[in-house]
Formats: sequence, C-alpha cells, structure tokens
Amino acid sequence: MLFKIFLIVFAILVMIRVYKQYHAQKVSGSWFFFWMIFWVLVIFVAFAPQTTDLVASAVGVGRGADLIVYISLPIIFYSIFRLVVRQDQQNKELTDLVRKIALDNAEPPTEKKDAV
Amino acid sequence: MKTVAVIPAYNEQDRVVAAINDATAFVDAVVVVDDCSKDKTVELAKQTGAHVLRHIINRDQGAALQTGMDYALSRLGADVVVHFDADGQMAGSDIPAMIAPILAGEVDVTLGSRFLGKAVDIPTFRRLMLKVAIFFTFWTSGLVLTDTHNGFRALSKKAANAIRLRQDHKAHATEILDQIGTKRLSYREIPVTIRYNAETLAKGQKTSAMFRVASDVIKGKFIH
Repeated sequence: MLFKIFLIVFAILVMIRVYKQYHAQKVSGSWFFFWMIFWVLVIFVAFAPQTTDLVASAVGVGRGADLIVYISLPIIFYSIFRLVVRQDQQNKELTDLVRKIALDNAEPPTEKKDAV
Repeated sequence: MKTVAVIPAYNEQDRVVAAINDATAFVDAVVVVDDCSKDKTVELAKQTGAHVLRHIINRDQGAALQTGMDYALSRLGADVVVHFDADGQMAGSDIPAMIAPILAGEVDVTLGSRFLGKAVDIPTFRRLMLKVAIFFTFWTSGLVLTDTHNGFRALSKKAANAIRLRQDHKAHATEILDQIGTKRLSYREIPVTIRYNAETLAKGQKTSAMFRVASDVIKGKFIH
C-alpha cells in the first residue's frame, strides 16, 4: 500500500514537472503527450495492478510484473545504445570544433630560437 | 620532398623540448599539437622554433595527431608526415631510415618496430601483452606485424590524406592499422629504438587500458 501511494505521488510530481517543461518550451508537444500518457498508465497500474495480469495472460506471459520487465528491458537497452551513439557523435563534433580552433590559431615559428 | 614531424604533447614540459630538438635535426619542420596541457608544454615548445597548435579542450592523442596531420598537409604542404612522441622515447636518428622507403616511392607507410630493433628495458609483462595485441591486430586489420602499438610512423602524402582518425583515444593506433588494411596502403616495418624509463613507464599506457582499446576498436566497427 505504501509503495502504491509513493508511486502515485511520484507520478503526479513528474507529470507536473513535465507540464512545466512543456510550458517553458523545453520539451516538444509530442514528448509532452507521450510522457503524460505514460505516467497516467503508471497511475492506472498502481490503482489496478491486476490489469497487467490480464494483459500478460493475453500475450502468453505468466504475470503482469514479468510482462513489464520483458517490455522494459529491451527498451532500456535500446535507449542506452542510442545514447552511446549520440554521445559518440557529439564527442566527434566537439573534436572537430577544437581542431578548427587549433588550426585557426596555429602559431608558426617567428624566428628560429636557440635550443632551450 | 618536404618532411614534417607531428608531435602530439600532453603535460610534457620536462621532455618536449628535447624531443622537438631531436626531431628537428632530421625533418624540414616540426608541428607540436598541445592537447590542453596543464603545465608549460606550450610555452616551452614555442621557444624551439616549432609550429605550435593547441587544443583548448583535451581530446587525447589520436585527435592531436589528426590535427597535426591536417596542419602539416594543408598549411605546410608536407610530402611525408612523421609521427613522433613528445616524451623522448623515440630517437630522431631513426627518422631517416623511417622515411627513406617512402621518399624512394617503395611504400606508403613505414611503421616502427621495437622487436625488429631494440626495446630497451621493456618490462616482461608488457612485452607479453604486446604479443597479445599482435594477434588482435591481425584479427581486426589483417596486417602481419611484429609491433602493433608503436607510435613511430611515417606516412606519404597519399597515406596521410587517406587515413582519417576517428578514434580520439588510444585506439587510434589500432585504427591507423585498420585503415592501412582497408585502404590497401603498402607498408613496411622498420627497426627502431624505443627507450623506456621509470617516468615514461608510469605515464605510458596501463595494461588495463588495452581492454578499453579493444572495446573502442570493436565499438568503432559497429557504430561508424
């Protein structure tokens, strides 16, 4: 029961935060819609967890909790993969930028100095 | 034919001047690429008569090498580019032997080998790990080499233009070999002397970093 209350309160707080970010134009309309639907579903499952068992049975999985894990894990791994790829790309863009600055500010020798 | 040495440097204030002077005697120009050192590497390099470039954020050795090669090719019109370390492990006197086959038009790339020449005071465990790296390199690039992790290289203009380093970190060494293989560049190993001492061993690549290199190489094959 305590966990159910915590989950519902947490979901409501996240929805408020997502709304504020959407209002401040920090997230797009589609992301706002997606996250709102997601957390509404979380609240629904918190109130009626047995519904997940019905869905699990319909798709041939034993329990609702198992179904949630089976769906979540591939999504999480794929999300991590995409983040790694994006981070890699950003690292390369950063290197390109640092290189351009270095080349633009290259200092050729003005005169041959004596060895230090 | 213009030969340019590219020296990537990071926190080498105690050794970079000697390395620059050592290379200068055997090449037409030296390009030092400082990778955002925290010490006086840049200031000291500027006093030697080398061309000096500076990364404003540390991007690691592979990135610094590529920056130096871009400068050598586009601004200095280099015909041969030599990769030379800033820590004094390499001997400038090996440069003529490294570039001779390229100047003669015999090969596109020469690669220094400690195991054809002399590896002075190399620890036994590191020697063993290098043997493992030889097998890994053959598996990934198809190149048969006696020394796969030697930063002493010379490239013709054709090879320097063909090779584009995408790996910033230590995996760039393996990436260079990969690209020599995929772009069908001709290569030859040249015996060179690499001097090890307590300072350079402490600063050098840790054995555990080989796993990161392997990871970067494998990741690079799938993501790029």
